[in-house]
Amino acid sequence: MAAAYQAKGFESVFVYTREAHPGENYPAHRSMDQKLAHAQAFKAHFGVKRPILVDDLVGTGHTLYGTLPNMTYLIARGGRLLFRADWTDPPTIQAVLDYVLGSRARRREGLRMAPFYAELVGYRWNDFSRFQEGLQRAGQQAVDDFARASQRWTKEGPRPGRITLDD
Amino acid sequence: MGERDEIKVYNYAEFVGGENFLDFRTVLPVGSKAPDFDATLLETGGPVRLSDYWRERDVLIEFGSLT
Repeated sequence: MAAAYQAKGFESVFVYTREAHPGENYPAHRSMDQKLAHAQAFKAHFGVKRPILVDDLVGTGHTLYGTLPNMTYLIARGGRLLFRADWTDPPTIQAVLDYVLGSRARRREGLRMAPFYAELVGYRWNDFSRFQEGLQRAGQQAVDDFARASQRWTKEGPRPGRITLDD
Repeated sequence: MGERDEIKVYNYAEFVGGENFLDFRTVLPVGSKAPDFDATLLETGGPVRLSDYWRERDVLIEFGSLT
């Protein structure tokens, strides 16, 4: 998808953050060399072609943008934020990029376009087995930590701001 | 807080699921100016700024990790 939209003018980059689910195989970062090695393993495992920007060891960039584990932002040329989401979901991103392209095309056709603020509740495919595979890749500790957190969410309710289907 | 402590707080050793998704809604609303930061470009190991990517083109940014 990154390649298809690059041809349409969109650059795509990945910012490597802290480990969301540290485990025996990929523990929490304690040095920049370690963080770079994990980023290299990530690139190799998923065959990532996009430039990977490795954030500093205290998460300066990650913190500026909200510190959540898998956020997406779309930034227009010049630096204005056009879209943001607290999870990354390819079909949602594709819809947004097509929307931006469509709006610009209408403007080029001579329509008088005015910007406005909009929000959206997104729906993403929650691929549980793939997620569990990721935890196992990190190590048994990551699997166990997540199981404990899940039990707590069931008992105490979801994390602040998580939207559930029955909201 | 010393730098070593800051590193350990940000890079937690165990996932506890304490993220606050509510704060995200107000931290950087769309329409505002994107904050810039320095990073290391994995391909070269050299310094890079996020704004290098939005100077000429629109840029889609995904945040994440291997785990």
